[in-house]
Amino acid sequence: MTVTVDTVTVDQSAVSRAQLRAEISVAARVLTPVWPLSSFIAVNPLGGLEHRRFDAALTIASDLYGARGTLGEAEFRAAHTTGRITTADLSEALERRFPDAVTAAPVEIGGRAHTAVDILLADLVHGSIPSPHARRLLTLSERFCARTAAAIDAQTVKWCSAYLDLCQASWVLPGRDRGFYRAWADLAPRDPRLPAAARRALRHLPPDPAEAVSQALAVLGVGSGGERIAYLRAHLTRLPGWASHILWRSNTPGAGIDLVDYLAVRLSYEAQLLDTTQLPAPTAPVPARPSDTATHRARRAAQALGTIDLDAAAEASISGILERMPVDSRPLVWLDAYETHYRRGLLEELDHPAPAPTRARADAQLVLCIDPRSEGLRRHLEALGDYDTFGFAGFFAVASRIHALANGDPTIAAPALVTPHIDLYEQPDPTAPAAAQRHIAGLHTLAATTDAVHTAKADLAAPFALAEILGWASGPVAAAKTIAPRRYRRWRTRTRARIAPPARTVIDTAGALGLDQRVQIAETALTVMGLTRGFARLVVFCGHGANTENNPLHSALACGACGGNPGGPNARAAVDILNDTEVRGKLLSRGIDIPDDSWFVAAEHDTTSDHVTILDRHRVPDTHRPDLDRLTSDLAEAGRRLAAERSPLLPGAPDRPSPHAAARHAQTRSADWAQVYPEWGLAGNAAFIIGPRTMSAGIDLRRRCFLHSYNPDDDPTATALETILTAPVIVAQWINCQYYFSTVAPDTFGAGTKTTHNVVGGIGVLTGPAGDLRTGLPWQSVAVGDRLVHEPMRLLVLAYAPHQRIDTILARNPKLRDLVDNHWITLLARTGPSSPWHHRTRSGWTLYPTNGAQP
Amino acid sequence: MTRIEVIVPGTAASEVRRLIEHSGATGYTAISGVSGLGHNGYHQGGLLFNEQDTLALLITVIPDHRADALIAGLRPLLENASGVMFVTDTYVSRPDYFT
Repeated sequence: MTVTVDTVTVDQSAVSRAQLRAEISVAARVLTPVWPLSSFIAVNPLGGLEHRRFDAALTIASDLYGARGTLGEAEFRAAHTTGRITTADLSEALERRFPDAVTAAPVEIGGRAHTAVDILLADLVHGSIPSPHARRLLTLSERFCARTAAAIDAQTVKWCSAYLDLCQASWVLPGRDRGFYRAWADLAPRDPRLPAAARRALRHLPPDPAEAVSQALAVLGVGSGGERIAYLRAHLTRLPGWASHILWRSNTPGAGIDLVDYLAVRLSYEAQLLDTTQLPAPTAPVPARPSDTATHRARRAAQALGTIDLDAAAEASISGILERMPVDSRPLVWLDAYETHYRRGLLEELDHPAPAPTRARADAQLVLCIDPRSEGLRRHLEALGDYDTFGFAGFFAVASRIHALANGDPTIAAPALVTPHIDLYEQPDPTAPAAAQRHIAGLHTLAATTDAVHTAKADLAAPFALAEILGWASGPVAAAKTIAPRRYRRWRTRTRARIAPPARTVIDTAGALGLDQRVQIAETALTVMGLTRGFARLVVFCGHGANTENNPLHSALACGACGGNPGGPNARAAVDILNDTEVRGKLLSRGIDIPDDSWFVAAEHDTTSDHVTILDRHRVPDTHRPDLDRLTSDLAEAGRRLAAERSPLLPGAPDRPSPHAAARHAQTRSADWAQVYPEWGLAGNAAFIIGPRTMSAGIDLRRRCFLHSYNPDDDPTATALETILTAPVIVAQWINCQYYFSTVAPDTFGAGTKTTHNVVGGIGVLTGPAGDLRTGLPWQSVAVGDRLVHEPMRLLVLAYAPHQRIDTILARNPKLRDLVDNHWITLLARTGPSSPWHHRTRSGWTLYPTNGAQP
Repeated sequence: MTRIEVIVPGTAASEVRRLIEHSGATGYTAISGVSGLGHNGYHQGGLLFNEQDTLALLITVIPDHRADALIAGLRPLLENASGVMFVTDTYVSRPDYFT
């Protein structure tokens, strides 16, 4: 055998560029992709740090963003004052977090012996609060010239806004088709806002953005390896909203922009605008946060315990106890206690569910999204009749791209964890094709009119003519929208219906999917939700959406399992599959026997008004009309009762309205274009319950729990449980973290107040005219003024399942294991309806103390 | 020709893809839902509603003179996350497809 070794010339510049690109990827791992407004997907802003312990991740986040990771100690102390956190909660948290410290010998202070817990509590409640967090990983311009840092940000925002625009602007950035970096490199040297020397230098940018980054780093004196990654990360976290959105965009085909381009722009500006000849060494450390000395801390605790005369021995003993609880860990103790308080109450309630019904067959079964808002509807409906309800991710296992009847871009109707590979088309109902054609023609007329108005508004001369033609109508329309929003919406709906009369349509699954695919979807959905026998005559799949006005973040209120879109189309597709006799035949051969008299119906719950609309009513056979009419009536009543329940919590809503008055108010609110609190979304979410409805039936969970149906007896292979733990729980944890961080660090991870929002490029919002792209939720989604509505707590996951089964799943899913082991979620399980709860920790299962089962 | 195979968590697959694209490779093959056993324990493949938390396998074939740059780029990615890379000499039936 002959081996010939060729001489291969290695292109060193290509090697350097590839290494730099990889280092930028590594630097960007602290970021989480941020979706555009049209599909506002909840994300954990610290998702890139989930492989770290929660407390360590918060420290890193503090260094990166200057953001705190919990409520402030002052807020926790206020909660202690009001009883939201009790001393017992704090003691329990201390024992859990610092078992060594709490067992230290008592200390005599002022003639009385005080336990270690007393001393630690005194420090928690009365200790000095350290200065606010500040970002410590800084760019050179941040450290040495704030004006230059601001100029770099302003330039970055300007060019990113222009390039990333999703058809909001009328003028397209020149050279956009050549990609972000090339378009910028062509135009930036002509920017009159730059000094002449900088403009001259920018004319000689290299063609490759990675080269530009290398050159700029060399000018700035940044070294290689870890130092370079840290510096790139400092730039990426300076405007994390823009960087995170570009990270998302870089994964879409033909984006023409990625983080290398982004950094090439930022660093090239910094290299040209910062006077690098005057800079000290770039690695000089940034000072840490100042905090109290041990002596001061001990004296303050002693003072809180009733003495100011502290001898040296006592002071040393107190300091010894307190040093086991570092000042920086105190907020975590408070958080633990805050969570403990809620969790204890929830677990006690779950020990007393309503008895399981003994009837032979339910009047109807409803499958709703796991979303906590569905819990309220389920509870009220169950109280009205013999109804069984189930919880399942609202896309109903139909992860798809849905093409509406009048075409346009398809809607991604799938969880963010899945790339949909199914295209479904809304089609005219075969029994009424002419009506569908009229509907489509009307929609096209409406779209053309809207386009014409927008085009006229953007034209240089046309706005004057437009004002002459339409201006007379604008005033009355604006007045009607303001004074009588519900009536205005009704008028608008009627007008639209006259132009585009409603038509019967179907989401045709048989035309798009083969029989095996449809059977697979049906079987998956039914087995994962545990609905494999005992089917009622009516089985309703109810998606959800939110109807609001003038709300750029409206998709944050729609279904998270449907990519921030309403779940109605997914429900329509699912029932189309399940009503198919061929599908049912195949299901029967797999052990799922759906009786001939069971009919599946699609519906959609508007979470803003709590009105449930039955979809495709025309497809329901006459034999089932009476059942459907009764259910519709009960759904309406359940919706009214739910609206009345929610009303006292909504700013400006009646405190104790009748159900009818509450429903009217909710509809008005939903139609009001000036309303910044259309509903509370998932504010308050705190727990995820996996188990049969009998676990929680009859309990008012106050719309704070995700509810996923699960029956361990039907899942011997643990496939369904694994699906639930690795998908819906992950999405719920993202949602939980989004609410959590939007509440504790609204300036960094929230979207700010709605009242100053500017929509930019259709991709996100800014506060005012410039600055970072705001991620997370607006303040009006989590608070009213200074009063928090959302209680920021990490997600509690409660599973009704054997421990061994959960262990097996954790062992083969490292990502899930990270969330549990690193305290991003708390996982408790019980193996029977009355068995005690056990806590899954890094070292295994331990009994979780509740009043019903003390360790 | 050089064949480079990389197995990384699904969340890191896009980083590898971008690096391959910028290396001048004319294409790659990506397989998601890969399972296996490694230093971080067993990885389950083919999760039903989650493509991100499974492993991904990416395979590319590039001319030898471009391989070093791609390998140099992949190293920092793998030093900072779980994953493995295999590099082998290879022969292909249509070399012009890969240059």
